[in-house]
Amino acid sequence: MQKLLNSILRNGTLLLFILLFGLAIGFIAKSQSFQQSSLFAFNKGVSASFFEARHHFFSFLKRQSHNEQLVAENQFLLNQLITKNNQALLLDSIPYEVLPAQVIRNSINLNNNYLTLNLGEKSGIKKEMGVITAKGIVGVVNKTNAQTSSVISLLSKSLRVNAKLKKSNHFGSLYWDGYNPNSVILSDVPLAANVVLGDTIVTGGMSAIFPAEILIGVVSEATVPLNDNYYSLRVSLFEDMTNLNHVYVVNFPLADAIKNSINYKDNE
Amino acid sequence: MNRLPTLIAWFLGLFFVQAFVFDPVLLGIPYAPFVYVLLLVFLPNGWAPWIVLLTGFFIGLCVDFIFVSGGVHTAACLLISYARPLLIRAVFRDTITPNNLNIEHESFGSLIRYITIVIFAHHFIVFVAVVGNTARIGWLLNAWLSNSLLTLLATVIILTLTRSSKK
Repeated sequence: MQKLLNSILRNGTLLLFILLFGLAIGFIAKSQSFQQSSLFAFNKGVSASFFEARHHFFSFLKRQSHNEQLVAENQFLLNQLITKNNQALLLDSIPYEVLPAQVIRNSINLNNNYLTLNLGEKSGIKKEMGVITAKGIVGVVNKTNAQTSSVISLLSKSLRVNAKLKKSNHFGSLYWDGYNPNSVILSDVPLAANVVLGDTIVTGGMSAIFPAEILIGVVSEATVPLNDNYYSLRVSLFEDMTNLNHVYVVNFPLADAIKNSINYKDNE
Repeated sequence: MNRLPTLIAWFLGLFFVQAFVFDPVLLGIPYAPFVYVLLLVFLPNGWAPWIVLLTGFFIGLCVDFIFVSGGVHTAACLLISYARPLLIRAVFRDTITPNNLNIEHESFGSLIRYITIVIFAHHFIVFVAVVGNTARIGWLLNAWLSNSLLTLLATVIILTLTRSSKK
């Protein structure tokens, strides 16, 4: 026993280092998991207040560029609205609504990145709601509390989004490969799609998270893996994911009904 | 321990600058300097190793909190804190008793040499932990070198300003 105690005292620093390093590795491992975002990714109380204060500080400094961004987005939305109004007879009327929110925290360098929004359950935010801007999709809400919500960013290797070519409706699976915060990959697009550089990519609408036809980006590179019948497309995002301020959370009231219907069919 | 108030002032100042100025997301640039590394440089040499370890862990935890970065800064700070005696010996070879060394009073050249080693080692650990596999080696090298050089530049500016203001 005495020897054990002596050994512990002698190697105390090393043991403490191993203990603390194990804790740090645990934090890192937890932050890599999509299902259980780390304690750093979603914070309540004091930490949420800290991020909000910091956001206000930067908003004050960057108010001029924020205003310019809002004007540009309004102009863009107005153009979209006019275009849609002119095609009204061709469109389905799906009852989507959007809730404006502000990004108070964002990360871009990790394998799975998260955003924190200043709206939570009190404002009607729920898990698995899509988050968009006027220029494209941003992510999916993965956790909420009363005042804030955590969003798994499009820049996350574990997130896959159904997307399609705007011109031909050929579908594929959109994901981030972890390299460039300005581009993502669209895989599994059949060769019959006849892709051309510059083609626009939009959401596929085959889920209750994002409506169809929400902009994502343009094809900047098209490759066909050897012995494969599908394209792998690099898509340059319209939205600058490194500079997000104002976003919109998509509320689709029929989402629960659709999910229940799918579960019911699966159980049958 | 009489340097504690100075160290706390450095901690608050650098933490504020890191949180409110040098944030890549808030600045809208891919990399921003991690100037908080200066705190690891200025930890007193007389402190017991376990206090240095706990302080390094705490500093890293605070930075991970503001960057929402899992535990990558915690791991990096901890490793640098543990390897501190080794790094000091590597730079200040002529110092027979590292415990009596006061880094702030060393020549500017030696100080910069030491800071350069700490920054490059710290940033390498950070980005290896961020990537977590061998798939993004090109990005890792680019991020490591760019961010290390940025941090070095920012710390040299901070040190020049604080040293000249002391005189």
